[in-house]
Amino acid sequence: MSWQAVARKDFQDAIRSRSFWVISVLFCLLALGVAIAYGVFTDVFGADRTVAGLVFLLANAISLFIVITAILVCYKSVAGERESGSIKLLLSLPHSRRDVIVGKIAGRTGVLAVPTIGGLLLGLVVGSALIGQVDPVATALLLVVGLFFALTFVSAMVGFSAMTGSSAKAAALTLGVFFVFELLWDVVTLVLVFVASGFTLPSPASYPAWIYPIMQVPPTSAFLSTLNAVVPGGTTTPAPVDPSTFEAFYASPWIGLAVLLVWLTVPAVVGSRMFARADL
Amino acid sequence: MATIELAGLRKEFDGVTALAGIDLRVEAGEVFGFLGPNGAGKSTAINVLLDFVRPTGGSATVLGYDAQADSKAVRERTGVMPEGYQVYKRLTGRQHIAFVIDSKDADDEVLDPLERVGLVDAVDRPAGDYSKGMKQRLTLAMALVGDPDLLILDEPSTGLDPSGVRQIRQIVREESARGTTVFFSSHILSQVEAVCDRVGILRDGRLVAVDSIEGLRAAAGSEPTLRIDAPGVAESDLTAIRALDGVDRASMTDGHLVVGVADRAKFRVLETLEERGIDVADFETTETSLEELFMAYTEDDR
Repeated sequence: MSWQAVARKDFQDAIRSRSFWVISVLFCLLALGVAIAYGVFTDVFGADRTVAGLVFLLANAISLFIVITAILVCYKSVAGERESGSIKLLLSLPHSRRDVIVGKIAGRTGVLAVPTIGGLLLGLVVGSALIGQVDPVATALLLVVGLFFALTFVSAMVGFSAMTGSSAKAAALTLGVFFVFELLWDVVTLVLVFVASGFTLPSPASYPAWIYPIMQVPPTSAFLSTLNAVVPGGTTTPAPVDPSTFEAFYASPWIGLAVLLVWLTVPAVVGSRMFARADL
Repeated sequence: MATIELAGLRKEFDGVTALAGIDLRVEAGEVFGFLGPNGAGKSTAINVLLDFVRPTGGSATVLGYDAQADSKAVRERTGVMPEGYQVYKRLTGRQHIAFVIDSKDADDEVLDPLERVGLVDAVDRPAGDYSKGMKQRLTLAMALVGDPDLLILDEPSTGLDPSGVRQIRQIVREESARGTTVFFSSHILSQVEAVCDRVGILRDGRLVAVDSIEGLRAAAGSEPTLRIDAPGVAESDLTAIRALDGVDRASMTDGHLVVGVADRAKFRVLETLEERGIDVADFETTETSLEELFMAYTEDDR
């Protein structure tokens, strides 16, 4: 299978990036730090600590790290190869352009899986030891959903990278998406609520229900909602809107999974089509 | 069967014409030199063969497949040294070759193609540390994997020292000997004339000539001239020489016998003179240099 050859090559190539290793070590240290804090500071986290609680704390802490690492590992994945000309070596081999996109998503997800699994396992094992509990279900679910989140964000970033032939433009595009949909999205939702409420800002408790799915648009929020939906004993609901307080088809943390599926597919499909049509 | 067939191939980039209607047939087993100054459209044409760019009009057929619709099938059986490529800096030579073997489902040994290009010593170094010439050799080795039916070499001599250029020629001959069709582009005529059966000359997106080197010479009126210092040549001798196969013209100029003659007939001219009792004191052959010939095609009447 053609995309698998691309994926293997891409994994070998991207895993040798030095900046990736630096950020991976930081990633593991962060997970370790979170786990130790959760295990040691009983006055902050309360006495009845659970592995499920640790799972959400870890997920919160690492989600942004996964996003940043994915941008770092992926923004040049297609655009950089077009800019340098290595895409000509790649495409002089019998790979379709779609094989290239699929292979790159698979290969770079594999790269991102290394610190994701490493960091989360480290945090879960150390944290479980400190609080003296083992919860294989919650542990496995965090790993699975964490990997799915890594795949989703990698797919989106490879998709954006495939939309242009310049690394600089790819950097602008991926960072722009990151700023708007991650860092500034709180402001966007706030403005929407403000306008919809007749240019006044209601208290968070009386936010309109429809803002809930809009708040799930950032991939990290969708990731945490998905985790909420699948891990029993989930403790965090993305404030300030609690989906259990209103009736609507979107009033469920599963909306997070739907959002992740959009991030997983739409940029990759659009990017893949643009790449397939491009003159190299 | 034609290995490459271009029919009315046109390509425009944002209103700039890169290829203005190319018709070309390269037969199976041929070594074809694709010549032209930089910017003439050589790489654009090659990029169409590999589906890197899409033609504005006309069609390209490679190994019997449509170069756009069935590009993957074309690339299954083609080895390529592209122009303007970059190797994967972090991967070793071995990993590059392994990737090609993997991609083409070939059963080559990793070291074999590297041995052919003389890169075995550097096999486990990252290709980012290679010199330009070594990167060229690596790319050539990648092109050889899987015993392709067609080799496309776009400016393969760029960055190579003379021994590297010789090695490329040697490999082109070897591949040709086992039936591979070779499509070889260059902006330097002397690099292709030694190995090519035919050449096509591209200028401003048009093919201005397609012929063998000898044919081009003849068409450009620049066949080799034999200039003989031989006193006592009579009109009857001239007639005898003109009657020889391969002789195009013969005349007395400045007291010398000047004969327009194909290479293969030169000695027959000298022998004929001797048979007729004429003492050849000295002779020299002159021919238009290949560069002049190339210039004649690519730079005249602008």
